[in-house]
Amino acid sequence: MTISFRTRLFVIAGLIVATVITAVMLIGWNRVLAFEADRLEQRLCMEAKRLATQPARGEDVSRMVGDVLGKLQLNSVGQVMLYVEAGRAGASFQSFNWQPEFVHDSAPWRTIANFGAEPARPSDKKNAPPPPLPPPSLDRPDRGDSPPSNGACELASVTRMGSPWRAARFTSKEGRSVLAVDLEATRTEIQSALKQALVMVVPLALIFTALGAWLLSVLTMRPVNRLRKSMQFVTRNALDQRLSSYGEDYEFEVLISAYNTMLSRLEISFQQASRFSADAAHELKTPLTILQGRIEQSLNQTHGSMTQQELSGLLDEVGRLSDITRKLLLLSQVDAGYLALKHTRIHLSETLGDMAADMQMLLTDQTLQCSIEPELTIQADALLLRQLLNNLVSNAVRYCRAEGWIRVSARAMPSGVEVVFANASQSIALEERARFFDRFYRGDASHNRRTDGNGLGLSIAREIARAHGGELALTESAADEVILQLALPLS
Amino acid sequence: MKVLLVEDEQKIADFACAGLISRGFEVEHCDDGNKGLARACEANFDVIVLDLMLPGRDGLSVLKALRSQAIVTPVILLTARNELDDRIEGLNLGADDYMAKPFFVEELVARIYALVRRLSGDRQNTLQVGQLKLDRIKRQASCNGQTIDLTTREFSLLEYLMRSQGQVFSRAQILAHVWGYDFDPSTNVVDVCVKRIRSKMAALEDPSDMALQIQSVRGTGYRFKPA
Repeated sequence: MTISFRTRLFVIAGLIVATVITAVMLIGWNRVLAFEADRLEQRLCMEAKRLATQPARGEDVSRMVGDVLGKLQLNSVGQVMLYVEAGRAGASFQSFNWQPEFVHDSAPWRTIANFGAEPARPSDKKNAPPPPLPPPSLDRPDRGDSPPSNGACELASVTRMGSPWRAARFTSKEGRSVLAVDLEATRTEIQSALKQALVMVVPLALIFTALGAWLLSVLTMRPVNRLRKSMQFVTRNALDQRLSSYGEDYEFEVLISAYNTMLSRLEISFQQASRFSADAAHELKTPLTILQGRIEQSLNQTHGSMTQQELSGLLDEVGRLSDITRKLLLLSQVDAGYLALKHTRIHLSETLGDMAADMQMLLTDQTLQCSIEPELTIQADALLLRQLLNNLVSNAVRYCRAEGWIRVSARAMPSGVEVVFANASQSIALEERARFFDRFYRGDASHNRRTDGNGLGLSIAREIARAHGGELALTESAADEVILQLALPLS
Repeated sequence: MKVLLVEDEQKIADFACAGLISRGFEVEHCDDGNKGLARACEANFDVIVLDLMLPGRDGLSVLKALRSQAIVTPVILLTARNELDDRIEGLNLGADDYMAKPFFVEELVARIYALVRRLSGDRQNTLQVGQLKLDRIKRQASCNGQTIDLTTREFSLLEYLMRSQGQVFSRAQILAHVWGYDFDPSTNVVDVCVKRIRSKMAALEDPSDMALQIQSVRGTGYRFKPA
C-alpha cells in the first residue's frame, strides 16, 4: 500500500507538533513542581520560625498542629510532625507522631540560602552565645560544622515509612523547632490540581496538533498541487507551452525550469520523430504508388494471360509491401508518442458482425462462434479501430488449428467494452506466449498452415488499444488455446 | 466528366491521367499548388484530385483557399505523408474524400463516381447488367425478380465488378476496394467471397448460367462477363 505524500506529511507534522507540546508540558510540569517545592521550603521555614519564636501558649499541641496544617494547606494531622523547644521558657512540646529517630536518619541539614525573612547577621553570629545543646533526640550527624547561627533555617530531606518528608529546623535565641511534612501529601495536592488542568489542556492540544499538522501539509502541498495541475495541462494540450515560474518559491522555480528544459528537449525530439515519420512515409510511399500504378496500368492493357498473372502476382506483393510500410509508419508514430486520434462514434456490434462474416469466409474446416451483445457503441478512431480488429481477426484465423474453433465475444463492461478473440491453436509454450506482442514475431512456422503474416499485427493492435486508453492482453489459458482480451473505454 | 489532378510527382500523374482518360474522363493536370488553385478558380471541374505535398502551395492550403472562395467542387485528397493527421485536417477543411497512397486508379475512379453520384443527387440508384439488378439504396441484388441474399461484402464486390463490365480486377484491387487497405492482404478472402456469390447465384430457380457471370481470370483476378 502506498501512502500519499500528503498523509505522510500530515503524520510527520503531527508527530513533531505533538512532541513539542508534550515537551513543553513536561518542562512546565517540572518547573511547577520545583517552584512548589521551593515555596514549600520557604513556608516550612516561616512556620518553623514562628513556632520557635512565638511565646509558648500552653501545651495545646493539637491546636498548633492544626494551625500549621492550615497554613501549609494540608488536611491530615499525620502529614505533619513538629517539635518545639522553646529555649527561653524552657518548655518544649512535640506532635503526637513525632519520631525522634527519624531525624537521626535524615540527610545532613543544609542551610537555606535565600531565607530572606531572617538575614544572617555576622555580628550576631560572632557575639551570639553558643546555642543550646540540641536535645538528644535531635542529635544530628556531626560533621564538624558549626552549629547554625541564631535565626537560621536548615532543611533536610528524610525518608519515613517509605515516603519522602521535608524537614525544616529553625534555631534562634528564643528556641528551636523542627517541622516536617509529608512531601507526598503536598505533591498530591499540586498534582491533582495539575491533572485537572491537563484534562482541559490535552484535548485542546490534540486539536491544535491535528489542525497544525493539517495546515502544514496543506501549505506544503499547495505549490506542488499547483505545479501538478499546470504540468497536466501542458502535457495534455501542447508541448510548446511552458510553465511560468513567476512568483514561485526558489525550490519550485528550479523545478519548473528543469521541467521546462525537459519539455523543450521532448518537443524537439517529438518534432524530429514526427518529421522523420512524415518524410519516411513520403519517400517510401511515392515509389510504391508509382510501382502499383504502373503495374495496374499494365495489367489493364495486357491480355496475354501469362503476363497478366505475372503482373497480378506483382500487384499482390506491392500490396503486401505497402501493408508493412503502413504498419511500420504507424508504429513509428506510436513510438514517437504522436498518434493523432479522430474520435467518432462507432457501432462496434455492427463492425464486429461484418468481421465475423469475413472470418466465416476465411475459415475452412473450423467453427466460428460469436456472442456479440447488440448496440455496443464506443468513441474511437474508426480507421485505427478497424486496423486493430482486422489484426485480431487475421491472427485468430491464421493460428487456428485445423478443425479447431474460434470464439468472438463482445460485451459491455462498467468501464467500457470487452472484446475477446479466442481460438484453438497448436500447443504453445509459455515462453513463446510471452513473445506474442514482440514486433516481427511469428508463431512457429512448422505448426502453421499459413505463415505469411508479417508479425506486426498484435503489437500494432496493442498500441492502438493503448492509444485509446484501453488494453490488449493475452489471457492465461490451456496450452492449445489463445485468448486475447481487448478492453476499450467508452470514449 | 472533367477532373483536375494536382500532383507534383510526374510518374504518378502519368499513370493516373492515363487511367482516368482511358475510362472516359477529361483530365487536366497541374504540378504545382498555386497553378492548381488558379485553374480550379477559373474553370469548372466536376472533381478535383488534390495531392497534399505540393510545391508552391500545399494541398491543405489550396483546399482552404478554395472553400474560402466558396468553390464547392468536390475534392478527393491524395495523402502519403501522414495519413491520420492529414485525413483529420483535410476532412475538417471540407474535403469530400481522401485516398491513401499507394492507391489504385481503379479505386480512384470508383470513388469519383461515388462522390459525383452522392453530390449531384441524380444518383444511379440501380445498376443493371443483363438479368442481374443491384439496388444501391437498399443494397439488394435481384435476378429476374428473385432476391439474392448477399452480405455487405458480397454486394460491394459484385457492384465493383459490375460497374466496369469486362474489366479484369486483381485480388489486390478488389481487396482494397471492398475490405479497405487495412485488411490483411495475405488472406484468400476475395476468392472465398467470389465463390460464395457464385454459389448463391447458382442456387437461383432459373440460374440461366448466372453463376458464370463472374469469371475467373486465371492467376490474375476476376471480371464481370463482358456483354
